[in-house]
Amino acid sequence: MNSLLSIKDLNVSFDTPRGMLEAVRNVDIEIAAGMSVGIVGESGSGKTVLSRAAMGLLQGSNVHRTGTVVFDGHELTAMTRPDVRSHFGTGMAMIFQDPMTALNPVRRIGAQISESLIFRLGMSKKDALKRSFELLQLVRIPDAKSVLRKFPYQLSGGMRQRVMIAIAISCNPKLLFADEPTTALDVTVQAQILQLLRELREDLGMAMILVTHDLGVVAGNTDYVAVMYAGQVVEFAPTTKLFADMRMPYTEALLESIPKIDHPVGKRLLAIAGRLPDPTDRGSGCSFAPRCKYFQNKCLEESPTLKTDPDGHLYRCFFPIGEAL
Amino acid sequence: MLFLAVFGSLLPFKSWKFVYEDDLGVVPFSPGHILGTDNNGYDLLSSLIAGTRMSVFIAVTAVSLGGLIGSALGITAAFVRGKVDIVMSTLFNVGLAVPNLVLALALVSVLATNVDINQSVPTWRRVMVLIISLTIVLIPILGRIARGATLSWSGRDFVTAARSMGMRDRQIIMKHIVPNVLPALIAVAFLAIGVVIIAEASLSILGVGIPDGASWGGMIARGRNDLEYSPHVLYVPVIVLAITVISTNHLGDVIRSSLDSRESKV
Repeated sequence: MNSLLSIKDLNVSFDTPRGMLEAVRNVDIEIAAGMSVGIVGESGSGKTVLSRAAMGLLQGSNVHRTGTVVFDGHELTAMTRPDVRSHFGTGMAMIFQDPMTALNPVRRIGAQISESLIFRLGMSKKDALKRSFELLQLVRIPDAKSVLRKFPYQLSGGMRQRVMIAIAISCNPKLLFADEPTTALDVTVQAQILQLLRELREDLGMAMILVTHDLGVVAGNTDYVAVMYAGQVVEFAPTTKLFADMRMPYTEALLESIPKIDHPVGKRLLAIAGRLPDPTDRGSGCSFAPRCKYFQNKCLEESPTLKTDPDGHLYRCFFPIGEAL
Repeated sequence: MLFLAVFGSLLPFKSWKFVYEDDLGVVPFSPGHILGTDNNGYDLLSSLIAGTRMSVFIAVTAVSLGGLIGSALGITAAFVRGKVDIVMSTLFNVGLAVPNLVLALALVSVLATNVDINQSVPTWRRVMVLIISLTIVLIPILGRIARGATLSWSGRDFVTAARSMGMRDRQIIMKHIVPNVLPALIAVAFLAIGVVIIAEASLSILGVGIPDGASWGGMIARGRNDLEYSPHVLYVPVIVLAITVISTNHLGDVIRSSLDSRESKV
């Protein structure tokens, strides 16, 4: 596999008053050009930190990052900041979670889209505005001409998310990080945005990392899925395979807690009991064990390592589903 | 009101220095002297207009300089964080801890004194010194505002978003931080203009300002001596001073709310 982005043994931790907070632990992910990978997990499992750390966007004296990130043949983790920056926008770009805060409230949409065109691609102001207009049409914003002159507060959430996407794809990135692109939107708009992302990806040949907590979003939009729990990748498989034949109890529990259309009326929806383990105190044993319905004594004592099925399906469990106990 | 005062200096009045020897201590609304004259025979209206020029010039210059330097320092400190920030905000706090007027007083008296006491300090140098002192007083005040505002804005997603598109820090500051910090800064700057006018007047009253009465403070200082005989000499500049300060404050408010697209439209 000729990989576009390869993350090896990535660890991210933060210094906090309560001790070291290990947000991402020993993550390995490989992404080929044009591929779409979903990262799922519940809130606080390290999805966003992983994607930001991969891009090197986490700054501050309290951030500790180890491991290597290789993008398109360049080792980002060994480069200086200006060098890493040269890959931003044209190499990788990111769509942010909340379209309400990810646009500058006091600047016009046109200026915000053309900004990266001017600075990164060296376009003239006029060309950049023209390109911005085309980009807005590409993300299917009606009446793009007048939107260029508007301020973010004049647009709806869905429109703003489209603008965000327009900004992210403005420099034709090879890899697009979409950090919960639909979380802040209502369901009908969600479907439109996902549809849009899918089409853009096909047209432009981008690879995409789709970070979400919604397995349903992942199912229709990705080639591979990485399930994260407590900062670790606990299962990694092709999307169709994951849903057909999951090995990790956590993935199963996640799926069970999604309401289904044929869910019996009056029956309680399953929730995963308990909470995420304390991220400043990773104890021994499997981090999911206290909440797992299949757990055995061994799970509390030893940490499982990633195991590989012959077909490349990865999971982190001693007693995976579908294996005789 | 401000504009009238600024352009008033071009109006065809006799120089404020012109001494009407026959009209000492004339009360306001007399023919020939709308606001009266003082005991030395200076026409108060003319003095007032000349004083406006001086006071407003000093205040505006000091605030612009202080604002420029202060916000540059404040924004940089907040954006870079780390050691730079610690040093900078400590300096700001030290600056703020010293009472404004005392600091300005000290600076003026040190800077504006000649080694040779008998040699008088030229007016332009006093003005320069006054401006510099007031600027130094203002830097920590405005710098802190800029730092605080920058801190709250630089953590926003759109800054990370700009960074993720490969924007340089300087570009991010100019394009994203400054436009957001500006409204708060302008509001405070206008407040500061009022404060500085008062500070300048206070310094003049204390005798370290512009000595020869070309400013409001100087007028008040001179009028103070004759309070018993001709109180209007004191009242006139005081009232004008008060009106000016109130109107700059109000102007600051208006400008802020019209610049602030978030507040006005939500």
